[in-house]
Amino acid sequence: MYVELHARSAFSFLEGASLPEHLIASGAKFEMPVMALLDRDGVYGAPRFHMAAKKAGMKARVGAEVSCKFPAGGSAGLRGQFRLPLLVSDRSGYQNLCRLITRMKLRAPKGEGAVRFEELQEHAGGLVCLTGGDEGPLAAALAGGGMEAARGCIQQLKNVFGESCVYVELQRHFRREQETRNRAAMAIASSFRLPLLATNGVCYATAAERELCDVFTAIRHHRTLATAGRLLSRNSERHLKSPKQMQELFADLPEAVANTLELSSRLEFTLEDLGYEFPRYPVPVGETMMSFLRERTWEGFEGRYGRAAEGLRGRARSQIERELKLIEKLELSGYFLIVWDLVRFCREQSILVQGRGSAANSAVCYSLGITAVDPVGMDLLFERFLSEERGEWPDIDLDLPSGDQRERVIQYLYQRYGERGAAMTANVITYRSRMAAREMGKALGFDAETLEKVSDAVSNWEYRDAKDAFDYRFRDAGLDLRHPRLRKYFELCVAVQDLPRHLGQHSGGMVICQGRLDTVVPLEPASMPGRVVVQWDKEDCADLGIIKVDLLGLGMMAVLEDSLKIIRTDYGEEVELAHLPADDPAVYSALQKADTIGMFQIESRAQMSCLPRLQPRNFYDIVVQVAIIRPGPIVGQMVNPYLQRRMGREQVMYPHPSLEPVLARTLGVPLFQEQLLRIAMVAASFTGGEAEELRRAMGFKRSQARMKEIEAKLRSGMERNGLTQAAQEQIITAITSFALYGFPESHAASFALIAYASAYLKCHYLAAFTAALLNNQPMGFYRPATIVKDAQRHGLKVLRIDVLKSGWDCTLETVSRIAGAQGETTASAGLALRMGLRYVRGLREETAQTIVKQRQLGRFVSIYDLVHRVPGLRKDELNKLAEIGGLNSLAADRRDALWQVGRAIHDPGPLLAELPVPEDRSPLLPMDGEERLVADFRGTGLTVEPHPTAYHRARMQAMGIHPASELSRLRNGQHLRIGGCVIARQRPGTAKGFVFLSLEDETGVANAIITPDLFEKNRRLITCEQFLVVEGALQNQDNVISVKAERILPLSITRAPAESHDFH
Amino acid sequence: MPYACIFVPDFPVEAWLRAEPELRGQAVAVLEGKAPLQRIVATNENARGAGIRLGMTRLQAETGGGVVLRVRSAQQEAAAHAALLDCAQSFSPRVEDTSDDTVLLDVAGLEALFGPLSRMARTMAQRTAQLGLVAQVAVAANPDAAALAARGFSGVTVISEGKEAEELGRLPLEALFTNRQAEAEQFLETLERWGIRNLRELAALPEAPLSGRLGQEGLHLQQLARGATMRPLVPAEELLVFEEGIELEYPLVLLEPLAFLLARLLEQVCARVGARARVIQELRLELELENGRRERGQNIFQRRLRLPVPLLDAKVFLKLLQLDLQAHPPGAPIVKIHLAAEPARPRAAQSGLFQPALPEPEKLELTLARIARVVGEDKVGSPELCDTHRPESFQLRRFVPGDSEAETKSVSQSRSLVTASRIFRPPWIAAVTVQDGKPMHIDCPRRKEVSGKVLWASGPWRSSGDWWEQEGWSHEQWDVALQQGDGIVLYRLVRDLLRGKWFVEGAYD
Repeated sequence: MYVELHARSAFSFLEGASLPEHLIASGAKFEMPVMALLDRDGVYGAPRFHMAAKKAGMKARVGAEVSCKFPAGGSAGLRGQFRLPLLVSDRSGYQNLCRLITRMKLRAPKGEGAVRFEELQEHAGGLVCLTGGDEGPLAAALAGGGMEAARGCIQQLKNVFGESCVYVELQRHFRREQETRNRAAMAIASSFRLPLLATNGVCYATAAERELCDVFTAIRHHRTLATAGRLLSRNSERHLKSPKQMQELFADLPEAVANTLELSSRLEFTLEDLGYEFPRYPVPVGETMMSFLRERTWEGFEGRYGRAAEGLRGRARSQIERELKLIEKLELSGYFLIVWDLVRFCREQSILVQGRGSAANSAVCYSLGITAVDPVGMDLLFERFLSEERGEWPDIDLDLPSGDQRERVIQYLYQRYGERGAAMTANVITYRSRMAAREMGKALGFDAETLEKVSDAVSNWEYRDAKDAFDYRFRDAGLDLRHPRLRKYFELCVAVQDLPRHLGQHSGGMVICQGRLDTVVPLEPASMPGRVVVQWDKEDCADLGIIKVDLLGLGMMAVLEDSLKIIRTDYGEEVELAHLPADDPAVYSALQKADTIGMFQIESRAQMSCLPRLQPRNFYDIVVQVAIIRPGPIVGQMVNPYLQRRMGREQVMYPHPSLEPVLARTLGVPLFQEQLLRIAMVAASFTGGEAEELRRAMGFKRSQARMKEIEAKLRSGMERNGLTQAAQEQIITAITSFALYGFPESHAASFALIAYASAYLKCHYLAAFTAALLNNQPMGFYRPATIVKDAQRHGLKVLRIDVLKSGWDCTLETVSRIAGAQGETTASAGLALRMGLRYVRGLREETAQTIVKQRQLGRFVSIYDLVHRVPGLRKDELNKLAEIGGLNSLAADRRDALWQVGRAIHDPGPLLAELPVPEDRSPLLPMDGEERLVADFRGTGLTVEPHPTAYHRARMQAMGIHPASELSRLRNGQHLRIGGCVIARQRPGTAKGFVFLSLEDETGVANAIITPDLFEKNRRLITCEQFLVVEGALQNQDNVISVKAERILPLSITRAPAESHDFH
Repeated sequence: MPYACIFVPDFPVEAWLRAEPELRGQAVAVLEGKAPLQRIVATNENARGAGIRLGMTRLQAETGGGVVLRVRSAQQEAAAHAALLDCAQSFSPRVEDTSDDTVLLDVAGLEALFGPLSRMARTMAQRTAQLGLVAQVAVAANPDAAALAARGFSGVTVISEGKEAEELGRLPLEALFTNRQAEAEQFLETLERWGIRNLRELAALPEAPLSGRLGQEGLHLQQLARGATMRPLVPAEELLVFEEGIELEYPLVLLEPLAFLLARLLEQVCARVGARARVIQELRLELELENGRRERGQNIFQRRLRLPVPLLDAKVFLKLLQLDLQAHPPGAPIVKIHLAAEPARPRAAQSGLFQPALPEPEKLELTLARIARVVGEDKVGSPELCDTHRPESFQLRRFVPGDSEAETKSVSQSRSLVTASRIFRPPWIAAVTVQDGKPMHIDCPRRKEVSGKVLWASGPWRSSGDWWEQEGWSHEQWDVALQQGDGIVLYRLVRDLLRGKWFVEGAYD
């Protein structure tokens, strides 16, 4: 029998071409009981390898190829640069390996670290060393100094790792020079009485993947395949070979094969035995962590439920008791205290924070101030958060304002738990269409222009029909797949999909550890200074039971925080999010009209098309609204039944009477993950553990296969419980489609709170909210241009950028008169929004800040004065400012400003500097409306002047184009035309190829639905034109208005480069 | 001082249309680049009308249908350019070779010869058309104005003196820039920002403030826009063009009389080149063959001799041309001979006292040419190993004496092999019986002695590569021992895995 103990996966980043799962699958096919993964300088792929092996009934051994660089004059034998293959035999060995890699990684720039000899000596315990293949120490010694050096090398390894922990490795890839080396290795092994070990130095699972491995080699060396020459592999033999093949290959050395099993039996360590421990929270003397948590919880209880009705108080009290008992039993008090401590830090620092996800199901979390949703009042399922059966850490995610505030919280964690005690989780960057097209093409030697074209063509529509496949994209880019070279390009692009490219940093996941995290997983420096990253992503961490706190930056949290600041300074009012009126009529009125641009989670086209039908009337309706427009409920066909039942057009029914308590609040339609779990427990008699398995399958990316297995279990359970076939199908559809993505109720409730807050601020403090929204772009569904136009339609006066008045951010100004546009007058009357300098494209922030600082010292009197006092202003920045009207206060008009800028930027030199500034009148004609539009869009991406279509309404009317605001007054089915600027193009994965266009004109936004056929005929027009006319039948169903397109025409309005938000 | 300008729009297309006039009237586009990634670099009006845009790929252009595609030809363009110059020089002795598609002529005093300026311009357009090129011709009081007008206005334009600004004013700003380099883009951007769209608006700007903003270059552009620049013509340097030709009264069939004529032409060329203290770097021979029409560019037989060392020896040239023509016979009777020589400065070289004597360059060239005639041009030179695993892959580099030293050194540094082997070229095809994946019996039809039972075999040694090319390869090598008489001989056996064939590639000593 043979087992493979030296294999690399694609997690060796450009040195291996198969995923760990793929290697395990191949090993399982060959009935190997054990395999070891030795990736380069890390254990990146180990968790996935481990999980896959566990599933396949195999054992996964851990190890790594560690880069070493020893000075030439150093210890005899081990010299030069090589990769040392190390296998972990016990937990101390694993800890040594992690520390060794961490030390090497943290001191060197990314990808350049190497281990030193003394470090190797220090961390050799519990590790077994192999002598390696082409890049191993033996090959390096033989090449550098022949047999004598090779003997010295092996002697050194024996000294470092001990006699019993060195194996002389033999690989046979059908290469002559390798056999020469093998002979030398055998001679040395025999003279040192060391065991031989056969391995295949695997780099890919199957021979066919050698091509990808060659491409990776070319990419790694910044060459093309044609110029990589002998850097490429000589043949395709480094694939996983069957025990039979290996026995034949080493027929002359049966002991080398037999030793693989012997060695494998010595390796006891697996990732099950990680030894991870969550940090303990320091408590005052005389307290335990649990007693301290109890006190904090009951303190919080008073604040949260102190004024609640007695019934609720009672229920809350008993729920908290129950939760605390479980927390005590599971010894999780430290974890809760650490999160509580983080939240406390945020509050002290006035940083908005809100827990999301399943933590919102916990009354303890609510009492501790971690979450903002009352789980008792909303009757949320605590078991979704924490259950005794699960035996895994609960998941607490904290939403923080994106940007600096979040960074402060991260730094607080680092300071508190030390550099080696806390780290960010990794984010594995994998090959997706665009990167694949670019890098594969580069390796094949295609020119930059072609690569640009292909990677542009491989864009990201969510939905892909047969014609949207990769090969059609190639054709779109003008490449003929009949050409063999292009065909190969295409094949490589497909093959490389989803393989890891490099390690990034997850935006918010942090892991912390009692003691040293670098004994649990190797740490690496992140590209951001001061940051450390673990080698695993958050799913790997979860798989291995490592607890993490997600500190997620949420743009809307930053908007809310900024809005509150602006309200405080400009309105002189103090608004607290925790005490917003619960049932504000203005908010629900806006929601019911789908007037939600800029509001959190409910602003997308799909949400807007649901709001008028759902007609939210209370907070729970918003929770439903947030949850319902998700791929899970949409594909599971739950949206329509829910809406129909809500409107009383359909009877409320349950798949089975036993499910009534589970589904009553959502009218018999499952909308939340918790409901699906309960259904499984009630209808199919799932145990808590099985339900948990289902939950994880629904929550993970890698879940398709898992769902299939669970489906079978569900069917048999429901069969036993006597559910009808139809009911079974309904439940299966609901549950399997949730694998696509659906919200837990608690998560939806947390988001609904933020959605409500954003709606409230927009309705009552439009100016402040819009300013904050514009200051935190990019975020949300719409471009700033649309946000500005929407605010203007709501009566907000928006003032252009002015170098005498604008700050870097958008700010508010008091104006004497509000020029009201159509729409209601809001509380913002008297306040106008001044666009900030951040919207001047190409203007650097430091320059803008200098302008503001100089302005505070004294008003600029002319453009010459500005240039003189802000010498850092570049020519292009000044031109841009002039072009967009930002210098109009210092000149007659934009052209005059441009004319003056042209002169002012020429340094007259010291001799003429004191001469009076020449005054020459601008001979240039002022810009006309169209020119101003073009300049505005080109320079700022938006205009505060009338919408481009406003200038052409008469012509559009003559063309039969109806304004967007008129559509609600027209009858359903009427044949008409709409037209305007395309602000969003969508082809959702759930919509079977239909395309949705949002067209904005001066009166509002109109929606068009395009069938796949029509899209195919007009693909270029729809994807490229900025202004379109859509002709078709008006659909007005329950005030959801759209036009079902029959014909698409271009609309000539302006040359201004308006932008849309595409491909969501 | 009137000047005329002849401008050929869409020059790369026109160069092709000159060769294939039957395509005129059709949509024609010219591609450039290496297949399969060629892109459109020029189109004619019809092609633009058919939606063909610059930068499109061949596939995109073909998708539209109805467009004739040609690959850009430097030769055609050079010929077209020469024709353009020919045309210009047939009118005036002072001709500026402004660019491939543009020539400027000083036409002062030529009215007496060609009539009034407007008629002269029309004649120029007609004559250019006779040479197969459709041109735009303009006459103005200064060269730049003439060039601007020719580029900007179709047909024939005559601008009276003093009316330049008025006439040119209609042109868009882009007309000022013949190529869109970064600097040009910057000017255009600034002017566009100012709302200046045509030359009239640029011309109207006040001079001093303009110079304060755009500097001297800006002022120059304004002068151009006003048609008010005056610069001396830079006449094409005719003297360094060494071309000779003979139009034959009767077609030549044999190479011998051709050699006689060539000798005469070469003598003349060498004499002229020598008088200018130059030597010849390159010789271009153009033979027009019987029944060929020059305009069509077909049936023109061209040969080019690029010499690694410039020479001036008519006899050597003649011998080289003879060898070349023997290797590449024209294939049809010759009606016209055209010979052009590219001059170069003579080399100054002094041999080192201790350096080994090298062959004389003239003799070396002759020898190489002789070998090339026998084995083919691509099979002469110094072999150089390619950086690939492909066995025995090499390429030929042009042989340059003196390079061998470094190579010898590197060979001597490489470690010696234990066993010497001799390689059979070409390898011998063999029939091999395989058992358990190993060769058991060999039968080599070409060499009966290389047949028999394999006593023992070592291998396989596998190599494969170039899988991304059409010519990928995958080999398996075996070292086998065969009984031969009393002794045992070791052979190297190769199996081509893609073609499934066996070869005996060599033997070990």
